[in-house]
Amino acid sequence: MEKEKLFLNEGANSTAAVPIWNPCSFGMEMQSNKLNCCSDQLPNCFFNPNWDSSMDQSDPFASALSSIVSSPVTTSNAIPSSGGVGDPVMIRELIGRLGNICNSGETSYINNNSSTNTSCYSTPLNSPPKLNISIMDSQIMGNLPILGNGIPDHPSLAPFLADPGFAERAARYSCFGSRNLASNESELSHRLMPRLEPGKLQRVSSNPSEKATGPQANVNVDGNSNSDKKFSRLSRSSTPENAEFGDSRDESSVSEQIPGGKLSMKGLNDSNSRKRKAITKGKAKETPSSSLSASDSKVVAEMDESKAKRSKSKEINGDEKDSTKVNEEENSNQKQNKDNSKPPEPLKDYIHVRARRGQATDSHSLAERVRREKISERMKFLQDLVPGCNKVTGKAVMLDEIINYVQSLQRQVEFLSMKLATVNPRMDISMEALLSKDPLSFPYGYRSQQGIALPNGMFSNGETQFSTNPLNAVLKRNQCMQLPALDGFGDAPRQVSTFWEDDLQSVVQMGFGQNQLQQPQAFHADSNMPGAQMKVEL
Amino acid sequence: MNPDHHSSLNPSSSLKSRFTKTFLRSLIKINKQRPFPYCPREIFQRCHRVKTAADKSLARAAGSRRVWSRAMLCKIRNRSLRRGCQQRPSVRRIIIGYQTTKKGYCLQKKMSDDQEVGTDQASKLRKLVPGGEAMDLCSLLDEAAHYIKCLNTQVQVMRRIADIHSS
Repeated sequence: MEKEKLFLNEGANSTAAVPIWNPCSFGMEMQSNKLNCCSDQLPNCFFNPNWDSSMDQSDPFASALSSIVSSPVTTSNAIPSSGGVGDPVMIRELIGRLGNICNSGETSYINNNSSTNTSCYSTPLNSPPKLNISIMDSQIMGNLPILGNGIPDHPSLAPFLADPGFAERAARYSCFGSRNLASNESELSHRLMPRLEPGKLQRVSSNPSEKATGPQANVNVDGNSNSDKKFSRLSRSSTPENAEFGDSRDESSVSEQIPGGKLSMKGLNDSNSRKRKAITKGKAKETPSSSLSASDSKVVAEMDESKAKRSKSKEINGDEKDSTKVNEEENSNQKQNKDNSKPPEPLKDYIHVRARRGQATDSHSLAERVRREKISERMKFLQDLVPGCNKVTGKAVMLDEIINYVQSLQRQVEFLSMKLATVNPRMDISMEALLSKDPLSFPYGYRSQQGIALPNGMFSNGETQFSTNPLNAVLKRNQCMQLPALDGFGDAPRQVSTFWEDDLQSVVQMGFGQNQLQQPQAFHADSNMPGAQMKVEL
Repeated sequence: MNPDHHSSLNPSSSLKSRFTKTFLRSLIKINKQRPFPYCPREIFQRCHRVKTAADKSLARAAGSRRVWSRAMLCKIRNRSLRRGCQQRPSVRRIIIGYQTTKKGYCLQKKMSDDQEVGTDQASKLRKLVPGGEAMDLCSLLDEAAHYIKCLNTQVQVMRRIADIHSS
């Protein structure tokens, strides 16, 4: 347990935390550089879940590590008891994370203690796991204080820090982390630690030197329980998950290269797609991506086909959300650590689309998905605009409502223009007053759209058949015609006709009240208008 | 028009105020130009003029960034030109041609592929929204949303004006 505590304790120091979770690359480099510390043993102890066996082999290493850790350790003896209990769990968590960092090739290393797997460690330096490492750096830095609190002094880690090459690497990885941290931290942390709330971590990390054992113990236990649960899944499924992760990452990167090949960091708001995008971005930046893609093209193609078949068969069934979930259920062993309820947030630019896990990755499907998301986003916006569409679900009904609403608005405009056309020219004065005043803050709701629609319809029909008594004729004809059209608004025809008569009255009064027109008598006789001044209730 | 130009520079002016100013000005002009209509035909003519003025001022207030506002202005211009110069069909054809090519013929191809939400509904919406024929469903919905917003404003303002004059 000494070794665990060595590294756990180093987490207390942020600078020292960098190498801890980076043992895959660091350990390999140590081996290659033949550092003073027992570098050969270091990766073993990190990546071997069987602590006891590794511990037996690496006693000298333990002493070296303890020497390293002694200097940065500040709260060495904070929680000896709880630390001892939680350490294996935390270490396993570390292992899991490190296993994630190191690529699929390293999973074999994790299971084997042999030092012949140094080659697999060469990849993390040049491959996306580097980016992962940097991104996970922040999380592990956050996590390590938890672990570090239960670690007694471990001076053996001092040689680590003393290594100049190590300092270089630490600087390099920290700069990677800082670069990609802001945009990707949330996604990766969410993805890799779905149960661990970053808030918890930060709370703990903010008090690395806290000596209170009680609250820290509780927090540690909570974090450990969560991480343990998650990590147990990690360790179990590390091999397929890493393999899948690597392949899917490659395939999605290739598929992204198909549409545009453009990678950019802006608009990274999609929780699922951007995770992969960041990783691939780092890959493209730091890797001779041509070599990787060339070697993986075949694998990618196969994965594309298989995934395309699966996803196509599922997507036929309906919603792409459903298909996503079905595919996720299919690949449950691969998705244990991922958030299954990925909300399909719409992307701003189709160029930036990444394939979701378990979905088709060919460019057509991607474009289709983006298009569908755009359309659904716009439908939602329209739902807010059109009143009474909150309960409506489905594009067809929604479109019907929108069409009705637009038609009614256009009819209202027609009716109002007719109204204004009959306005007394004497009111030009008030119009100019209106211009100067600009009174536009009147809360006129969309309440009586049905009331307006009927006279609008009437007028529109009447325009085509204007006779000496146009309004009269149209009145009679359209008394019943427009009523069925208003069923969509859910109002009783009775009410509508009342509104309609009121509007008509107002129109007539407006047009005829102040000018002596020859026709008002006819109107009065036919429409049963009381002589009262009735304001239109709009 | 000057008020539109000034309002476009002034970010605080809203669609409502722009529309109101323009519309009221055109209303005054209409009322001044013609005698008050006593016969239905004149009423109808006036109503049509008022409606055109309302649409025109709304399209101007909405700005030329929107497809529907541009399409509406083109339509109005075509109509006035058609009325004004019926002896010169070439002018009309040029304008109409500009209107269609502006929207892009490449979009027509896309239209046939993207009719997944119900052909009749999308086509209905296209007819309703000015300039909607040459748009794919995505931008059609976008334009429809903005058009609905502007129509709401228009109806509100016109209602208010009518109420003020009726009281």
